[in-house]
Amino acid sequence: MITYDAIVIGSGITGGWAAKELTEKGLETLVIERGRNVEHRKDYITEHKPNWQFPLRNARLAVGTQGAQEYPIQARTGQFHESVKHFFIKDHRNPYIEDKPFTWIQGDQVGGKSLIWGRQVYRWSDLDFEANLRDAHAVDWPIRYADLAPWYSYVERFIGVSGERLGLPQLPDGEFQPPMEMNAGEKFVKAGLERAFPDRRLTIGRVAILTQALNGRLPCHYCGPCERGCSTGSYFSSQSSTLPAARATGRLTIIPNSVVHSLIYDAAKNRVTGVRVVDTTTNETREYSSRVVFLCASTLATTRVLLNSKSARFPEGLANSSGVLGRYLMDHHFVVGASGAIEGLLDRYYQGNRPNGIYIPRFRNLGDDASRRGDYVRGFGYQGGASREGWARGGSEAGFGVELKRKLHDPGRWTMGLTGFGECLPRADNQVQLADQTDEFGIPLLRIHCTWGENELAMRKDMAASAAEMLEAGGCKEVRTRDAYKEGELGGEPGLGIHEMGTARMGRDPRTSVLNAHNQAHDVPNLFVTDGACMTSSSCVNPSITYMALTARACDYALGELKRGNL
Amino acid sequence: MSRASITRRQALEQAAMLLGGALSAPTVAGVLSTATRRAWAASPGWTPRTLSPAQLELVATMAEHIIPQTDTAGARAAGVHRFVDTLLSDHYAATERDRFLAGLADVDAHAQSAHGQPFPRCSAEQRIVLLKEMDARAYASGRGEDGWFFRRLKELTVVGYYTSEIGAMQELHMSPFGAYRGDIPYTSVGRAWS
Repeated sequence: MITYDAIVIGSGITGGWAAKELTEKGLETLVIERGRNVEHRKDYITEHKPNWQFPLRNARLAVGTQGAQEYPIQARTGQFHESVKHFFIKDHRNPYIEDKPFTWIQGDQVGGKSLIWGRQVYRWSDLDFEANLRDAHAVDWPIRYADLAPWYSYVERFIGVSGERLGLPQLPDGEFQPPMEMNAGEKFVKAGLERAFPDRRLTIGRVAILTQALNGRLPCHYCGPCERGCSTGSYFSSQSSTLPAARATGRLTIIPNSVVHSLIYDAAKNRVTGVRVVDTTTNETREYSSRVVFLCASTLATTRVLLNSKSARFPEGLANSSGVLGRYLMDHHFVVGASGAIEGLLDRYYQGNRPNGIYIPRFRNLGDDASRRGDYVRGFGYQGGASREGWARGGSEAGFGVELKRKLHDPGRWTMGLTGFGECLPRADNQVQLADQTDEFGIPLLRIHCTWGENELAMRKDMAASAAEMLEAGGCKEVRTRDAYKEGELGGEPGLGIHEMGTARMGRDPRTSVLNAHNQAHDVPNLFVTDGACMTSSSCVNPSITYMALTARACDYALGELKRGNL
Repeated sequence: MSRASITRRQALEQAAMLLGGALSAPTVAGVLSTATRRAWAASPGWTPRTLSPAQLELVATMAEHIIPQTDTAGARAAGVHRFVDTLLSDHYAATERDRFLAGLADVDAHAQSAHGQPFPRCSAEQRIVLLKEMDARAYASGRGEDGWFFRRLKELTVVGYYTSEIGAMQELHMSPFGAYRGDIPYTSVGRAWS
């Protein structure tokens, strides 16, 4: 068995961070990745390709289309297009059982979903870290904002985040590069909205996309579709940022095409002593060992590995003496909001494809009487944007011929949309378990049971109504609300937010949580889980930067423990 | 005609036929980018895989009426009919493809009963009258089932045209890479970004 100082399972957003931190601190580190290798630049095979070079003109490959045949689950997300399908997993390679609709979107390559993520980054605040304690759901977080704030700064300075400082307690400012610009439509709606609602702000999205050069990465050139990969490294991905840093230490080894079957546990030492891997090209089994293991395989994949690592000491899954492993699955509920049209501004336009929209920070249940709701706890934020209608409107209106062509020569009216992202309560009955069936690598399938609860459904009503109210205040006409969720159907189901989190939560008490305040397993000291599985509650903001900050912090702690001889 | 036996002359004739004589093949080679020319060169014997030659001509004729040649090329020169055949062959589920093909048959049947000719052989005036009827029905309030085909054909024509090199680069412009400017006078741009 080959031995390393550290093994990191997964090479996506958190795996890349763990690799960077551990190698930079001197550890010989092995990164195990289930998917194929993807090299920065060389493997961005669709970058800057114009539409006419795609046979289907970069069509959305919806469920039921021929291009989606190997991707019946992945095709549920609107992001699944001809130009990016090679960055999504073929579903037969990761089958699972959904009791109720639950969409599990995964990458299957080095870099994981860091290549295709939404890049929106928002810090949590104590409103989030204290939420469970305050309204008595699940268990209290073992950390507070002050514990994570320096690590947010550390991460932001490395990944590069552009955004506007607002001074809001519920959405702390970070280390920002200059913000991207809002367009004329967004500025117009912002003015009316903030006049009508002095407690609400409309700001440009905070994104992990550079507006200034950083560490050899260039500022954004506004080509638009980041998710195809970016040769200038302008958005944060493992390929553009963390893996090169780890590689530069000379202490990084990455093995792709290697899916982790389980962890090997030594009860006498009470340590994880090895990782059992199945080679996805040959189906051969290999084992690796290390002093410390970081699980960064993505929320559900991580929990699946733990559940499948059974021993006499841990018959229900490794580090699961509490019995909560697999429980308290969350996602952000969305596909609810409103849109409207702006009259006028027809003399205004924009240039460049800005890979970012606007953000309206949470304004409900902030702890004061004015923002308190009687019908639900927690809150939501909105993402959205304004644009002028393009040629696509030609297919939805009467008329053809020279008249149509002349009409489409000019852009249409301005429209503005808002989509809410709502916090999901941690509930024990939203859970994953191992099924009896196994996949082609001999690993038991996950059975996923997850539904939205009453709190989410009550919040959605407000998410739609408040979006409409703000658009109207912002001067929009023909405002329409939208809520794609229908119980038992696809369209707004859990998982679609691709912010799945929880199932191996952090907590103060080993009897009710899997991980401690440093993402270290209560039960097994040399095991760390730093991806979304660790989350104790969900906030309403995009989670990735919090995972990154937790990972960097956990690596720092693990190094200290190694030095102190505790691991 | 098999793909292997096609001659270069036949290929050029076929290309010219598909372009409706609006532009000769050498002209096309002159105005399109290297990438597009390479793409065309790689499939000189392009033949439809789902549409019959008659159906292909019907699609090309209708599409050209929807987005005609003006001071820039129209749908036929942009290869919208090829795009439609590709979608029908490689994208649509069988039920949707059959529904589309049935819609095409209806158009010819309607033209036949009204003018005794399949649609492409009707006079331009007759075709425009037929299209106006279809357009009115397709976008009438309620957007009924019987308008589905024409709405779909028009959507495909618009998508196929404005995502083609001709539509995206000649009729409209692509936003240049470099900077983002969120609030500029429309007059400084002068046409929609593709």
